[in-house]
Amino acid sequence: MIVNASEAPTQSQLPTPAQVAAGDTHVTAFRRIALSPSLALALTIGLFVLYGVTQTSSFLSGQVWINLVRDASFTAIVACFVAIVMIGGGLDLSVGSVFSAGAMVSAALAFHGQSPVVAFACGILVGAGVGVVNGVIVNYFSIPAIIVTLGSMFGVSSLVVHFSQAQPIGPLPTSFTNIGQHNLFGLPYIIFVAIVVAIIAYLLLHSTTLGWNIRALGANREAARSSGIRVRGLSICLYVLSGSAAAFAGALESARLGAGTPDVGTGLELTVIAAAVIGGTSIAGGLGTIPGAVLGSLLLSVLGTGLILLHVDSTLQELATGVVLIVAAGLDQLRRRQMFRTSARRALAAEAS
Amino acid sequence: MLASAEIDTRAPTAQPPALEVTSGWKSFGRVTALRDVKLEAFPGKILAILGDNGAGKSTLVKVLAGVHTLDAGELRINGQIVDRTSPRLARQHGVSTVFQDLAVIETLDIAANMFLGQQIRRAWIFANRRRMFADAADSLAALGVRVPSVRAQLGELSGGQRQGVAIARAVREDNPIVLMDEPTAALGVRETAHVGEIILELKRLGKCVILISHDLEFVFKVSDRLLVMRLGRVQGRRDTHSTNQQEVVAMITGLAGDDEAKA
Repeated sequence: MIVNASEAPTQSQLPTPAQVAAGDTHVTAFRRIALSPSLALALTIGLFVLYGVTQTSSFLSGQVWINLVRDASFTAIVACFVAIVMIGGGLDLSVGSVFSAGAMVSAALAFHGQSPVVAFACGILVGAGVGVVNGVIVNYFSIPAIIVTLGSMFGVSSLVVHFSQAQPIGPLPTSFTNIGQHNLFGLPYIIFVAIVVAIIAYLLLHSTTLGWNIRALGANREAARSSGIRVRGLSICLYVLSGSAAAFAGALESARLGAGTPDVGTGLELTVIAAAVIGGTSIAGGLGTIPGAVLGSLLLSVLGTGLILLHVDSTLQELATGVVLIVAAGLDQLRRRQMFRTSARRALAAEAS
Repeated sequence: MLASAEIDTRAPTAQPPALEVTSGWKSFGRVTALRDVKLEAFPGKILAILGDNGAGKSTLVKVLAGVHTLDAGELRINGQIVDRTSPRLARQHGVSTVFQDLAVIETLDIAANMFLGQQIRRAWIFANRRRMFADAADSLAALGVRVPSVRAQLGELSGGQRQGVAIARAVREDNPIVLMDEPTAALGVRETAHVGEIILELKRLGKCVILISHDLEFVFKVSDRLLVMRLGRVQGRRDTHSTNQQEVVAMITGLAGDDEAKA
């Protein structure tokens, strides 16, 4: 650490950590943004839209975009918290069924004259309850999350069908449907709700001490435990959050449709996992961002709507989703390898000096 | 070194042990990793645990660090019996640990690693990243650990740098008991000597240090007491200054010692 005046100009000496902490920030921040999946995603969306605009003028229609973003809002609300579960080293396949459960429970309560607040709260509670079951089984019985949540996916969807007799519930009172159907500044409420949910998820993951614990848990559970993090409790909380978010989104969907439909959430689990992974969430845990999950949800909606507008055969749309998913995962691998390669070189240089 | 010589002349019974295991047993399935192990470690002393691979050293350290709970026997920290342990409780009792696998998170930056599980907060729940960056940089600088930036991901660091971060984390916690499991495994000669200085500094501050190392020369340089384990048992205990490497090697390989059996 002692740098003589004669040695200083050679620059072979590394600066002290304190100097680096102050000076190196901009480079690191720039690198982080340049390499972030979110930037790549935003560019992809932008390019696709640009191409679309040159092909058909309907790409410029405001209503098309409002519908598209509203659809993405539902995906994003769930995808944010599924991404957090995955970043914490877990997986939640039950969110599609829980979405339906939330939709049906809140619809049933609203239909029977309960206030919207009670209907939403009970819907969310059901989701949280499924999350508790998922989390406890995963963490205390050491059964892989993919199996546990696959099981609860079947279980919950079967219960939804059993109690609803596969019949929709409706029509729902306007006090309940207002939040799903009304606009603010010409935009659906739902979009603003999704923005608020995404901001909450962002703050949780990126600003709170809990967020750092979540990433530690997902990257190296043993090290997290050794460091004094309550890994089981934390992991259970994550499943509760994703269950609650899914049920909340389901209740919103009932409010938008004006009726509770028992199969609204079918297939949602795979869409939100795709959105999270496209947004840079690592299936192995530890890595991922909320802006990425939101942009991933948006990309899926833009692709879905865009391909319709471009008159691509609707049966081929999911092919596009699949290709994007795999390309995104591949790019992420490449980026990670690149990052560690340059850093390995830097570390070597540091050792040599 | 003068200071340490002075401390050595004191009778070990002058203070109660900071850390004590009374006839500890621990099994994993059919493998018995610890058999009737007794251990006493005192404040201001450096106890080295030696032994071949599979002797039970790391299991013992994990018991002390709260990762494993003893099947039988007692663990006492500052005279207080600790029944059910977790790393979190151990730390609350004042035990810091440098684990053999370092227990670091490759995908997080250095500062986040140094404050893992005990971040500096602001407004109750938010992480005070700025202060953590500054404090981590200060701790590393104070210990002479050189890293490119405290914002660098741990996965970007060399083995020696990672070890430096893990040691700096334990030292920064400023706990009265410090466990180090192979703290010099990834280090060169100069860095090893440097870790030796850090350990002696901890001793000078009156901390109880328990050190596990394969490096006999290093152990003889820094430790006050030796505890040799073999096949899950304590093979023998020595004052570092009243034994030599030949005797210790003989004890490690089972050619000599087994004081407990004689007693």
